[in-house]
Amino acid sequence: MDVVAGRVWADERRPIRHLDPTLLIVTAALVVVGLFAIYSATSQTLRADGFDPFSRVNKQAVTAVLGAVILLVMVTFDYRFLKVYAGFIYGAALLGLLLLQIPGLAASETGTSNFINIPGVSLLQISPSEFAKIGLIVILAAMLSELRSPVPTLPDLVRVIGVAGITMLLVFINVEIGTTIVLVAITVGMLVVAGTQAKHLVALAAAAIVLIVLAFQLNVVEEYQVERLLTVLDSGSVSEDARYNLEQSVIAVGSGGMFGRGYLHGSQTNLDYVPEQHTDFIFTVVGEEFGFIGSALVLALFALLLWRAIRIAYLSKDAFGTYLATGVASMFAIQIFVNVGMVIGIMPITGIPLPFLSYGGTAMLVNFIAIGILLNVHMRRFK
Amino acid sequence: MERSSSRLKVFAILVLVMFAALSTRLWFLQVLATQVYAKEAQNNGVREIAIDALRGEIWTADQYGKPNGEPLVKNRSSLEVRIDKQELEDSGMGEQVLGELSEMLDIPVEELRADLESTKYFDFQPKPVAEFVPEEVAFAIRERQERFPGVQVRNTSVREYPMGRSASHMVGWVGQVQAEQLQQPQYRAYGPNDLAGQSGLEVEYEKWLRGTNGLQRYVVNADGERIRDLGGREPTPGGDLVLALDGEWQRAAEAYLQDSILRTRQVYDEDSTSYFKADAGVVIVLDVKTGGVKAMASWPDFDPRWYVKGLSKGEECYLGYDPDCTGANKVAPLLDRAYQEVYLPGSTFKPFTALAAVKEGYADLGTPYACPSEYVHPGDTSGASFSNWSAQDLYPGNLAEHLIISCDSSFYAWGSDFWYRYQNDQLGENNEPLQRNLRAWGFEKPTGIDLPNEATGFLPDAEWGNAPEQRDLFPQKWNPGGYILTMIGSGYMSVTPLQLATAYGAIANGGHMCRPHVVDRVMASDGETVLKKVNGQCDRTVPYSKAELDYIRGALAQVPLRGTARSAFLGFPLSEVPVAGKTGTAFRGDQFQDTSWFASMVPADDPEYVVVAMVEQAGFGSDVAAPLVRRMIETMYDIEPGGPIVTQTGQD
Repeated sequence: MDVVAGRVWADERRPIRHLDPTLLIVTAALVVVGLFAIYSATSQTLRADGFDPFSRVNKQAVTAVLGAVILLVMVTFDYRFLKVYAGFIYGAALLGLLLLQIPGLAASETGTSNFINIPGVSLLQISPSEFAKIGLIVILAAMLSELRSPVPTLPDLVRVIGVAGITMLLVFINVEIGTTIVLVAITVGMLVVAGTQAKHLVALAAAAIVLIVLAFQLNVVEEYQVERLLTVLDSGSVSEDARYNLEQSVIAVGSGGMFGRGYLHGSQTNLDYVPEQHTDFIFTVVGEEFGFIGSALVLALFALLLWRAIRIAYLSKDAFGTYLATGVASMFAIQIFVNVGMVIGIMPITGIPLPFLSYGGTAMLVNFIAIGILLNVHMRRFK
Repeated sequence: MERSSSRLKVFAILVLVMFAALSTRLWFLQVLATQVYAKEAQNNGVREIAIDALRGEIWTADQYGKPNGEPLVKNRSSLEVRIDKQELEDSGMGEQVLGELSEMLDIPVEELRADLESTKYFDFQPKPVAEFVPEEVAFAIRERQERFPGVQVRNTSVREYPMGRSASHMVGWVGQVQAEQLQQPQYRAYGPNDLAGQSGLEVEYEKWLRGTNGLQRYVVNADGERIRDLGGREPTPGGDLVLALDGEWQRAAEAYLQDSILRTRQVYDEDSTSYFKADAGVVIVLDVKTGGVKAMASWPDFDPRWYVKGLSKGEECYLGYDPDCTGANKVAPLLDRAYQEVYLPGSTFKPFTALAAVKEGYADLGTPYACPSEYVHPGDTSGASFSNWSAQDLYPGNLAEHLIISCDSSFYAWGSDFWYRYQNDQLGENNEPLQRNLRAWGFEKPTGIDLPNEATGFLPDAEWGNAPEQRDLFPQKWNPGGYILTMIGSGYMSVTPLQLATAYGAIANGGHMCRPHVVDRVMASDGETVLKKVNGQCDRTVPYSKAELDYIRGALAQVPLRGTARSAFLGFPLSEVPVAGKTGTAFRGDQFQDTSWFASMVPADDPEYVVVAMVEQAGFGSDVAAPLVRRMIETMYDIEPGGPIVTQTGQD
């Protein structure tokens, strides 16, 4: 019997019997691929510097286990509670972002930082902007599922954009272009599925362009970010560092060939030629050591994950569930596309991690939360 | 959720497009273009560094292979500071870096800046600014490399000269390969930092001395740290040169030459009413059977060690790099006067012109000829007369006697004969047999010695004399004087001392022209394998019979006994070591003092060596050059030195 959300389920419809095993297996597979890739990217350097070569992998594995626990927690309650508390969740996310603006809390000596140090827990750094993604998905899903009209009206849109805009602004002023892009994609994806009229979308796009141009004109964007963005557009005009990053990344992937150079045998990876390899450029390990076959398999896993997410959106018993799943799918889709695109040189360098593969605590936890939300919607798809 | 299902399809299609884009790009990178990237990845990780090969040593014949032998040139390692100008300028720290370097190296900033502007090197070549930098200074630069952008410390091997400035002209010096050299094909494999010979044997035998650079290949990570050695190739040291040169004789030649010159400067010259300038001189000893150079001294000289430590202002001035510097010495010490400068040979030339006259039938070996004090070309009404060296008419005698007393006037007459030959057959192909005979001795041609930039000398002929440029000398075109003066080694002709020595060598060895050579053989660094034998190439012969050559040699053997060199050889044991020689006193024009010559063969009965001495602006051959040769022969044959180094006889 399951009494969550005040409902008694018929035995055959008990949520626990309707987990999505494919989604779970795909997620687990991606995490495992990620652990292997991180080991390859970090062990040589760690060993050379006299550290335990497994230290990074271990930390990531611990985070993954923690993520799995959070996932379990996420499926124990009916997802519709999220709608009830959407305001609080959204408020908490904004609060987290605001905390970054308080000097002393940000975990950086140099000024801006994406992390907050939790006092007393020195090892755990929380990146509020990652949680902001979930906060935005939940609040937008709540708002869109409550629309009176079949398609969002202009006032609806203004409200949605207002809510999303505040989040984006707070992330953007903390100089996180990558996360801002993800937030935009989440918003656009959810608006598309909500049936926003094409003319409104066009108007939004125009407004966004004006804003971006303004941002650049007013020098809100840091110089190094402009540079990184420009790398893909015009490789002649950017700094040596950014170009080097991209070059080495493309060389790594390209040198992998059809079958790859073998696990732990990629010279680019082994010899540390790709900067930030274990975080944003983790896909280069897959590309170099497992070749096109490996890259395609990993992309297939991601495609499977997105397929399940879209299917869950489709199967959801209510609009809230559909929008939640859509938001999650948008979040993953844009991250995969921008990250892998960046690694292989067709997207600018924006600092977006690859879900489940990139080394990093908060992102991993948030990804598990997102999977938990998907599973939750799937498990409770029956009316 | 029917409405949203169609929108989800739109969403799904968007996702599909994304994946299609990623897969297409991956297909391109990893399948179509993978070879390009695989190669780049390999280049990324593999570094190659050249390991300089040790440059070959240079040994004199008498020291090589001796248990405690000391080479003429060996190697010593030096820490050298070089600056990549481009990199320094790009860093924007130029002034600060130069200031700091100046302090550390104790070199004025202006000097560093001048080194950087040197046009001896291409812009991409780092410019050397300091050598023999103390280890702690080199370490300080390497340790804080980021504060010294463009500054490199290289461990180079530099030349060391245990024999000091001995044989400096022949040895030459080594320096960073110069822009001019890099443009030549034989320097194609040189890096901008490489060393290369710049003069003398160092440049002539560059390909043997250089060796083959080694190569070390290893894998580096992105920080440039060495991860793994991939092996490579050991450098092959350059070959050692073993010279024909005798170190002891060379030193003796240099010492006597300098001694002779300094003494000559204390002698008052009545003709020019001043002391002799004696500004330069040469001593050459050749092995007549092989052409091997046993000793070859040229003064003034220089010290090759100056190049190793970097030239000072004063040294640059002395060597003539800056002709405008105050107190610039105009003596051109870098010039090896033995083969890079030409002179009038004076009477030392007579054996060759005499044989030409004999060959063409104007003279024979027995007939007595007069030796008047003056000679006028028959029928010449211009009043031009050619005088003998002596104001008195000398006793008539045969050709041998004329060589012994160095009569000029008989040679003038044979010169007139050569003029008639030309005049009677002006368009003939063989109307100037004098020049043809002289060329057979190697005059007007390089001897082919294994040293760079050899001068060729000159023999005037009708074609030259008739050219419009010579209207000042020959207002009525080519005239008898051209032949008459050449007959006594005077006028417009010129030879290098080495050419003269080589020609005397042919008289000495029965008519074989040997190509002179400084190097005897090139040895591999193991000391056993002969890489190249520079054999005496004596395959050309002169067109005279043995009897004719022996006649000349016999005549010249009388010169030290009772001829012009008698006083120079007073007390010399000629019965034990007979010497055949010829004095020469070349008139260079009124603004110069005469060139003093002595060319000899020793022992006269079966010659082993030719010894030639020449001192510029030093007067009679019998007074300066002949005693100098005597000293040299005394050294060579372990004879107790006797007689003054400079005499005053007043004889040609």
